[in-house]
Amino acid sequence: MISLTHYLVLSAILFSLGFYGVLVRRSAILILISVELMLAAVSINFVAFASYVDTDLFSGIIFAIFVITIAAAEVGLALGIVLRTFRERASANVDEASTLKW
Amino acid sequence: MGMEQVGILVAIPASVFVLLALTYKLLPRGGDFLVVLAFAAMLLISLAVAGDYVGHIHDGHFAPEGANAFAFDWINIGNGHFLIEFSTWVDAITVVMIVVVSTVALMVAFYSMSYMHGEPRYGWYFAALSLFVTAMLMLVVSGNLLQLYVAWEGVGLASFLLIGFYWERQSAAEAAKKAFITTRVGDVGLLIGIVLLWRQAGTFDIQGIIEFAKSGGFDHTYLTTAMIFLFMGAAGKSAQFPLHVWLPDAMEGPTPASALIHAATMVVAGVYLVARMMPVYDEVLIARDVVLYTGLITAIMAATMGLVANDIKRVLAFSTVSQLGFMFVALGFGEVGAAMFHLLTHAFFKALLFLCSGSVIHATHEQTVEELGGLRHKMPITTVTFIIGSLALAGIIPLAGFWSKDEILHIASEQAPVVYVLLASAAVLTAIYTTRLVLLTFFGEPRNHHAYDHAYESPFIMAAPLVVLAVLATVAGFVIFDPVGQALGFPGGILATVFVEHPHHFVFDPMFAATAVGTALAGIGIGFAYWWGDAKRAERARGWAPELHALLVNRYYIDDLYQAIINRVVLGMGNIIALFENRVVNQSGVDGGAQTIGWFGHRLKFLQTGRIPNYALAMAVGVVVLAVLASSAE
Repeated sequence: MISLTHYLVLSAILFSLGFYGVLVRRSAILILISVELMLAAVSINFVAFASYVDTDLFSGIIFAIFVITIAAAEVGLALGIVLRTFRERASANVDEASTLKW
Repeated sequence: MGMEQVGILVAIPASVFVLLALTYKLLPRGGDFLVVLAFAAMLLISLAVAGDYVGHIHDGHFAPEGANAFAFDWINIGNGHFLIEFSTWVDAITVVMIVVVSTVALMVAFYSMSYMHGEPRYGWYFAALSLFVTAMLMLVVSGNLLQLYVAWEGVGLASFLLIGFYWERQSAAEAAKKAFITTRVGDVGLLIGIVLLWRQAGTFDIQGIIEFAKSGGFDHTYLTTAMIFLFMGAAGKSAQFPLHVWLPDAMEGPTPASALIHAATMVVAGVYLVARMMPVYDEVLIARDVVLYTGLITAIMAATMGLVANDIKRVLAFSTVSQLGFMFVALGFGEVGAAMFHLLTHAFFKALLFLCSGSVIHATHEQTVEELGGLRHKMPITTVTFIIGSLALAGIIPLAGFWSKDEILHIASEQAPVVYVLLASAAVLTAIYTTRLVLLTFFGEPRNHHAYDHAYESPFIMAAPLVVLAVLATVAGFVIFDPVGQALGFPGGILATVFVEHPHHFVFDPMFAATAVGTALAGIGIGFAYWWGDAKRAERARGWAPELHALLVNRYYIDDLYQAIINRVVLGMGNIIALFENRVVNQSGVDGGAQTIGWFGHRLKFLQTGRIPNYALAMAVGVVVLAVLASSAE
């Protein structure tokens, strides 16, 4: 049957993919999408624990709802910053926004 | 007014000094009258203390009944474990010193009112004079060595201020520096000696140290070393060889200050110290011999240098150094009485000579004898008093200088005939240079007519102290006699009664006295032969041995030697240390530290790429490292 381990592995894979995306992607929007992917993976982790381990109280499910809320707020804020920052350049390329350097 | 209140003698000039130093610009006439009044009061108190002291002499023993010491605690650590007091102690030596200091100080202060009139910083001069008298009196009444050392430095400071009074003149500033540094070298020895004595005796109290020494508490070699170090300080302050170099240059100061400090009082501080510690010196005769021979060498050396000096005050300065040598010779034989007696008479006639020379300088604005001559017509009082002082210096009966010098020569002839012969030759030299000075200044034809024409006799304020000191120079010697002593209250004369530690009954030896006077007259005769009239013989004599003349004029090149040592050794070491400080501390250390940080900065700045993915990677790496550390820390 499908056990807790499967869900944890799935969560780990998704988190790593998201992590990789944050580090590698050139577009600011895609970085934000990768962050969303990480948050989703974390939610899966919480819900899995809630279903398999903590079945009476299901605190993990409550936690996942919090994560979704926070993710939404954070993306709203981040998109606002991204739009503002990259409006002048007419490009969302993160690599080019490197004027604050030595 | 008893002996316990002798501390007032210190308090009076101290308060005058503080008042004058703060307000001399506001006081009328710069506050000089305050100083004169204070010094007059001090003289009366000194005489009262002397009377009280003499009143406590019974059957030739000084029985103070515990009434001659006064002390209050200054530093008291561990309830007596480490104790420094302000203490006073009165005995014969103290009494002589306070009377001498007060008398000469009063004469000088009175004289200065006229001499220093119109000088800039007139009030400050009197303030410095008061400071000096404070420190000097504190020195002579102090009962412990640490307080004495404080006062010792105090007189050095006052001397510095007074020598450098005309500091706008480069030579005066340098002379003040030289005086202070030379005496400072001696003072190092003094401090070492004091600390050495304290380490074994456990106390700074002078009487305590004397008792400890007499009971044999000191290790012999240790004590010898300590007393020689102590003598180093005395030699520095009293301008004995090889620390004599500052006194001739100290004549840059105002003449009344020279009269007070460098003739009568400060320079005898060394004599006072050795006299005070004489019971300890008696335990270590090697140290006493050091005193003796240093005094002897100095007496002769300074007399030879005085023969060729051309400035009146310089001749008198060399004469002072020479006479101090006489006093140290007497001390070297353990004869405190003779040394203090010579100190007393010398103070009077040397101060007289200096004030007379001040009179000449004031009238003619010239100091070198080459510009003087024939002044006896213009300045009769000065001439007569100067001659009296000179005869006292040369040791002609019945003036004061004869009695005291005769005592010292007599002691030398009994104990060490070789020393007697050398000392007698120094006495002959004394007579010669004294005569030379008198003849060149007051007799003969005037060499500088401009100076001669402007010369005038000194006003009353300057002439009166001259007369008083001349009278003292004449009669002060008679206290050695029993009848005079009985009239004044100390039977047996000054040597027997006042110096009861080493009583020495004075016996007048006519043959010896005749010899002494004879040698002095011979010296005067030689002086007349060479310098009477137009002094042609002296000029020819100079031609016989020009190198010898140059040697004496250049003061045996000792000043040049010291300057060379300072330039090569002291400044050389200073340059090395400055090089170290510059290269190692400044360039390598301070600048190097800053440069290293800059070097790192130049290379680390490349981390700041400005690219967001780089920063994200850095954060990720950081998280991983922290996680590893956290998990391994369990």
